[in-house]
Amino acid sequence: MNIRKNLLISTLVATVLGTSSMQGLAFDFKGVLKDAVEKELGEKPVTTPDEASQTPADTNATDSTSATKTSEPEFNWKNPSKEEEISLGREIAGNLLGAAPLVNDVALQKYVNSVGRWVASQSERPDLPWRFGVIESDDLNAFAAPGGYIMLTKGLYRKLSNEAQLAGVLGHEIGHVVKKHQLKVLQKQQLLNIGAGFLSGKYAKDNKLVSKAIGTGAEISARSLDKSAEYEADRLGLSYATRAGYEPYGLTEVLQTIGQTNKNDSSVALLFKTHPHPDDRLVALGDAIGNKLDNIKNGKTLENRFYQLKN
Amino acid sequence: MTSKFKALLFIAPLLYWQTVIAAETGTALKNDTLRKEPYADAKTGGSLTRGEPVDILKKQGAWLQIKTKKTTGWVRLLSVKRGTSTSGNQTAGVLAAASGRAGTGQVVSTTGIRGLNEEELKAAKFNETEVKTLEGYTLSADEGRQFANAGKLKPIVFANLKAAKGDAK
Repeated sequence: MNIRKNLLISTLVATVLGTSSMQGLAFDFKGVLKDAVEKELGEKPVTTPDEASQTPADTNATDSTSATKTSEPEFNWKNPSKEEEISLGREIAGNLLGAAPLVNDVALQKYVNSVGRWVASQSERPDLPWRFGVIESDDLNAFAAPGGYIMLTKGLYRKLSNEAQLAGVLGHEIGHVVKKHQLKVLQKQQLLNIGAGFLSGKYAKDNKLVSKAIGTGAEISARSLDKSAEYEADRLGLSYATRAGYEPYGLTEVLQTIGQTNKNDSSVALLFKTHPHPDDRLVALGDAIGNKLDNIKNGKTLENRFYQLKN
Repeated sequence: MTSKFKALLFIAPLLYWQTVIAAETGTALKNDTLRKEPYADAKTGGSLTRGEPVDILKKQGAWLQIKTKKTTGWVRLLSVKRGTSTSGNQTAGVLAAASGRAGTGQVVSTTGIRGLNEEELKAAKFNETEVKTLEGYTLSADEGRQFANAGKLKPIVFANLKAAKGDAK
């Protein structure tokens, strides 16, 4: 393990030094380091080889093992295993749940997990132990953390009117997890930190720990991803829900509803800050769809079994 | 809040749904071609300019029949933003009432509403009990399939959508 990590650092440092040897004092170490990290993350797939061999039958056995705070294991930021990804997601999900607990309604949570599990089975990562939760907040928002932890607010659930819409929203978040959007942001940042710490002589083992990476509380959940990541998640979410047999336009209906909410309403403040405007998302989705849905018929909305909130 | 106003709140949802049926308005999200019928290869008749206000007459599948100042025709569902932005606040309030959200006025919202802003997220502490509860809901792929069968959901073949050409966003 350690050899592998040292190798990474050496590679990065070698890249930096190699490139910089001919340059003056004002050389931008961080910039080159950043390039080197991006190259590392970009050229090699971050998926682990053992993941491909997983079958859906393994799903029940892949529950995360919780990392205790006191003896937090080191984290392979360059190429995290599925287990490491899940433990990272668990940390983030736990912090988010510290800000807003689960809605105390077992039937609701079971229903959302049923829809989510079926949609996730249409994704490229059906083997993850997917879990879904509705959290106590009147904001309109939804969150995904690495490894398959997905949450949406009660405020957003309240705006939905059928199962196809729920499937579209969950599909969007599933798309983030499948494409490892948040994980990649954290990886990049951590590899930079580790590298920069090494260069400045303050290289600390601490930087490899999960708790150091995700910062204070659940602030990571308030951060934006690239706009392109959001558009990609929209396309994937709609695709997964469509494959699952739902009426394809569920997600776009929710975007229409969100777009009608006054942008000064505090319930959408964070959502609007961290996502492209719903109008832009609708246009991008419309362009991506083109005529591809013209022959998709008989998708279901299932409003009859859509779970109604008790309050 | 006067009792007269309270009474108004009760009938507001009914009024809202009536207006939806009578004449829903919208705005063009993009430049597009109007068609005589709700099909991609139907004859064209007029055009739509981004930002142009429209009346939505009918929805059929993934198509909307709309009326512009000049003409009437069909466009794809996602070419039109439904509702008008100016009445956004009012619409949100009415929608909230229709969905059974307790209280509708701005005043009420400060007491019952639990937000999730950046400060609250930053101050959050890891909650082990809640994560365990969340993990307890995890279902297997088989359980998901059974749920789909119960709803007569049939999986279909459909390739992941790709970003439109020239759309680098």
